[in-house]
Amino acid sequence: MATMTVDLDQNTNDAVAQIRYALTFLSEDVVSYDIDEVEQKIHIDLRPGADIEEMEARVDRLLRRYSNPEFGMKSVVALDQRRELPAIDAWAGMLERRWATPVGEGHVVLRGPAAQLLALVDHKVQTMFVKEFHAELEIFPSTIKSETLHRCNHFTSFPEHVDFVAHLRQDLDVLSGFADACRTGGWTPALHDGRMAANDFAVSPSCCYHAYEGMEGWTLDKPGRSITAVLACHRYEGANHTYLSRMRAFTMREVIWVGQPAYVIRSRARADELIQEWARDWELSCTFETANDMFFTDDFAVKASFQRQQEAKRELRMDVPSEQQAISVFSSNFHSNTFGKAFDIKVDGKPAASACVGWGGERWVYALISQFGFDVDKWPTGLKRDYEKFTAEESAR
Amino acid sequence: MPADMEVDDIKQQLHEYITRRFKVAPGDADFTDDVHLFDYGYVDSFGAVELAEFVQDRFAVAVTQTDLMAYPMNTITEIATFVSLRKRGDL
Repeated sequence: MATMTVDLDQNTNDAVAQIRYALTFLSEDVVSYDIDEVEQKIHIDLRPGADIEEMEARVDRLLRRYSNPEFGMKSVVALDQRRELPAIDAWAGMLERRWATPVGEGHVVLRGPAAQLLALVDHKVQTMFVKEFHAELEIFPSTIKSETLHRCNHFTSFPEHVDFVAHLRQDLDVLSGFADACRTGGWTPALHDGRMAANDFAVSPSCCYHAYEGMEGWTLDKPGRSITAVLACHRYEGANHTYLSRMRAFTMREVIWVGQPAYVIRSRARADELIQEWARDWELSCTFETANDMFFTDDFAVKASFQRQQEAKRELRMDVPSEQQAISVFSSNFHSNTFGKAFDIKVDGKPAASACVGWGGERWVYALISQFGFDVDKWPTGLKRDYEKFTAEESAR
Repeated sequence: MPADMEVDDIKQQLHEYITRRFKVAPGDADFTDDVHLFDYGYVDSFGAVELAEFVQDRFAVAVTQTDLMAYPMNTITEIATFVSLRKRGDL
């Protein structure tokens, strides 16, 4: 195995987490890597035969993305409620209790109290948020046209994590040949070679895109409308996949607003208040703060720093004491009229503005158990109260 | 030049530039000197870079990352006030 070491530019200090995330997409020749923040070095292990000069050039290109954020990396912490908590290995405990079973890279089956917790989070969204905003339920397909993702600028922001959908070609010989090969030799990925049609769909990487394409060409009544939906989303994360905290297949609940800017901004601000009330009630060890998306393109510096400067993204980040890190379990996003323009959605004669808030279901489960353990009686009062009431109502049905 | 006139002049130039560069529709009643340029979608992230460059070139003032984080520059009035204060050496 070949190894290489690269200096971490001091100008990238604010972006170490982003660099750590991005390095996995450097090349298929990367076996593993580590960032030494004290020594300011990146150590990378490569497959034998990898072109080290080429790899160094790629690392240099990658680091340049993060070295000069146009608008600075503004940080505003609206809620800082961190608590001293014991380190609990939630994943190991869930496996042991059969509350979770991994079924592939970044794919997990949840059951028992873990499944109940996810359902509780969704139920709380319904009672706190959906009612507050009179959000109308919409049901979205699990896949989305690649063309729609293009119109949402998804490919120019997050090309690395799109899971495209493909099917076998409509050809009798191809279909019979595939079935025969599976029957005789068993399925292997190699059987796909040359047999797949060009794909025109992807598994939805986010929930709200369908909302905008579903309203294409609409003129909305003032001030606008609110929508809610839940969707099984997919994001390919390479070596960054971790069970429950960075999954390939995960559950996202969203509340979305589309309408006049003042209505959308006011609604989002109210949602930001509500999530902080929730965090206080459940005594979460967390922060609610400005954030940026992990844009995986050379224009990271402009997009991410502008997003932070405008506070267009905020996240509720819950501590995972066993990992000594925090994970985002909720995000609040303002898009201005980007989607109103892209899909010709108008209100009061102008492109509509939009915003959305989203909950990552499995992350909530993982963070809650990481913070409070497996014994419901030891959970914070508010969480225990809601969980017991919810499970009692479920049992009574 | 009196401070108020200077700010008004800067506002006028910004108004004309944004109207032309970002294709603001004639007679758009929302497009005032106090409208939030980004929330209301008149300027996006890449437009903001261009706007910062225009401000630096046209008015010969430096606009640093620290400035962008420290001072509100979301409306024409806010940008004009910043430029005026910076030119006078008050920032």
